[in-house]
Amino acid sequence: MIVEMVALIARDLKRWYRTPAQIILVFTTPLMWLLLFGQAFNIGRLAQIGDTGIDLRMVFGGATDYFSFMAVGQTAFIMLFASFFSGVSILWDRKFGFLSKLQVAPIPRTAIPLSRIISSLVKSMLQATVVIVLAASFVLIPGLSGLRFSSSFGVLDAAGLALFLILLGIGLAALFVALGLVVRNEETLFGLINLLNFPLMFTSSALIPITLMPDWLRTVALYNPITFVVDGMRQLVFGTSIGAEYSVATDLLGIGIFSALMIGLGAILARKALLRG
Amino acid sequence: MSSEGTVVGVERLEKVYGGSIHAVDSISFEVGRGEIFGFLGPNGAGKTTTISILTTQTLPTGGKAEVLGHDVVKEPSRVRKGIGLVPQELTVDDELTGRENMELQGSLYGVPYSEAKKRIDELLELVKLADSAHRYVKTYSGGMKKRLELAEGLIHRPEVLFLDEPTLGLDIQTRTSMWEHINKLKKETNMTIFLTTHYLEEADTLCDRIGIIDHGKVIALDTPAGLKKAVGGDVIEVEVAECDEDILEMIRNMPAVTLLDGVCSGNRARLKVPDSNFSLPKILTNFIARNVQVVSVAVKKPSLDQAFLEFTGRELRDDESSSGNEKADPGARKGRFRRRR
Ligand SMILES: Nc1ncnc2c1ncn2[C@@H]1O[C@H](COP(=O)(O)OP(=O)(O)OP(=O)(O)O)[C@@H](O)[C@H]1O
Ligand SMILES: [Mg+2]
Repeated sequence: MIVEMVALIARDLKRWYRTPAQIILVFTTPLMWLLLFGQAFNIGRLAQIGDTGIDLRMVFGGATDYFSFMAVGQTAFIMLFASFFSGVSILWDRKFGFLSKLQVAPIPRTAIPLSRIISSLVKSMLQATVVIVLAASFVLIPGLSGLRFSSSFGVLDAAGLALFLILLGIGLAALFVALGLVVRNEETLFGLINLLNFPLMFTSSALIPITLMPDWLRTVALYNPITFVVDGMRQLVFGTSIGAEYSVATDLLGIGIFSALMIGLGAILARKALLRG
Repeated sequence: MSSEGTVVGVERLEKVYGGSIHAVDSISFEVGRGEIFGFLGPNGAGKTTTISILTTQTLPTGGKAEVLGHDVVKEPSRVRKGIGLVPQELTVDDELTGRENMELQGSLYGVPYSEAKKRIDELLELVKLADSAHRYVKTYSGGMKKRLELAEGLIHRPEVLFLDEPTLGLDIQTRTSMWEHINKLKKETNMTIFLTTHYLEEADTLCDRIGIIDHGKVIALDTPAGLKKAVGGDVIEVEVAECDEDILEMIRNMPAVTLLDGVCSGNRARLKVPDSNFSLPKILTNFIARNVQVVSVAVKKPSLDQAFLEFTGRELRDDESSSGNEKADPGARKGRFRRRR
């Protein structure tokens, strides 16, 4: 099982890093969001202009500025997109016969979605790292603010950060890979993914502070898996629970449950899709 | 159901799509160890569907199939361990090099790395891709991809190899060398090979036994020689200046001559005789005696081509050109079929 998994993961990654456009996108997509959304959409200014005396950390999940707040959310955002591409790639594999090659091969059926989930995770984690490094290095550019870590940020916090992202990445990849296996038509798959992506993103506190949301949206956002992730990560990055919705432990539990549910759902769907017709 | 030497055993196998399309219609056959067994049939005959069932990709809707003594429905993973498949559609990965594709295949089939390396070199040499092995497959021609696909199917030295139209889209040279490889494989490794084709020549040169399949049914199953013998004689095609009922009547009255089709088509009459060497002079004498102007004469010795025609009621080539409407007019085809028999 290990040998074939490694071979399949290597194959997915080769297809990825050998495509120059993909590599360019890995850097430009977060750059665009961070610059145009993060820097331009500086809603922290509003509070300063109005001199309201609000503790911005209450609004920005512990961060003192919007950019730091959204940079953490951006990592979740990138995970979402990377995972969704993995789901689409498996549909292409069906189209080009690669999937049927795997189905004839003497490998456990589980290896097929599992290898894709792992390669997806490698890609998405790398991209999340790029986001964090880019966001932090903005401070080097005159006139821009960067992602500001708390001075107490240490190895344990970094490990916690990774854990949140990994759990999210696994859950999302499980969901999208299963969808990619079940749905056999690109348009339907893209439509379905859009239907999921948009609300997942914008009913979470990834880019928009929860306090700014109307009540009904806040209620939804509080149960959005991405909210658990960014809420937990912000507490680790900014070293404070000010402005947090849950404790870090609750956040972990929340995203853990989401991941487990997606793996379960994914397993059911994938099994069905890989059954012989 | 199967005896010792049986590698593939199929009994009343059936695949119905959507309740009405009988892709495979109650077929039975056995393939013995070391045999090259071929399915010969036109587009849509059910060849790929049969392979797909035997290679555990599709479930049959009826009947039974065993490969290497394992039921394809109940023990798919056991079957998968012993088989190799070169599918009709290309499945090689464009974004990898030829060698990488081979390495991936080796890993998927559990070939130890050092052994795989050796075999990959051998196989790439065999399919004449050694010089292009480092290139991305997206830069390969269709024939190169097909050859790579064949090499992939061999990397784990399967006991049974399924080849679905192994030479489709290859030029004559490559096709001939592919045939050589397949023959060599059989001789050197005693591998059992199940192949499908709609090339008569391919079936004729390669196969120990041929099953003619049409509309999901195996309508004849024999050695190439046996199939030809079943045709029972040569066909003489006589073209006259003007064909009329008198000429046809004259032909019908000739001893030991059967008028095929019952009519002339384009002033051509097709006559079946036991031995053309012997009959042709007599027939021509008859024509001349009656003052019939003979334009051309063609003799067809028993070929698989004819066997196919005999069993299916049509030429394979006809069907290829009109494959688009193959399902459109089954009645007409049946009519022809009956008339000819
Ligand atoms: N998934 C499917 N759903 C419905 N009908 C199908 C399906 N697959 C095959 N068929 C039908 O089953 C019949 C047999 O198809 P099959 O692919 O086995 O033919 P074939 O002999 O391999 O033909 P070819 O020489 O064109 O490859 C055809 O009529 C085809 O339309
Ligand atoms: Mg076919």
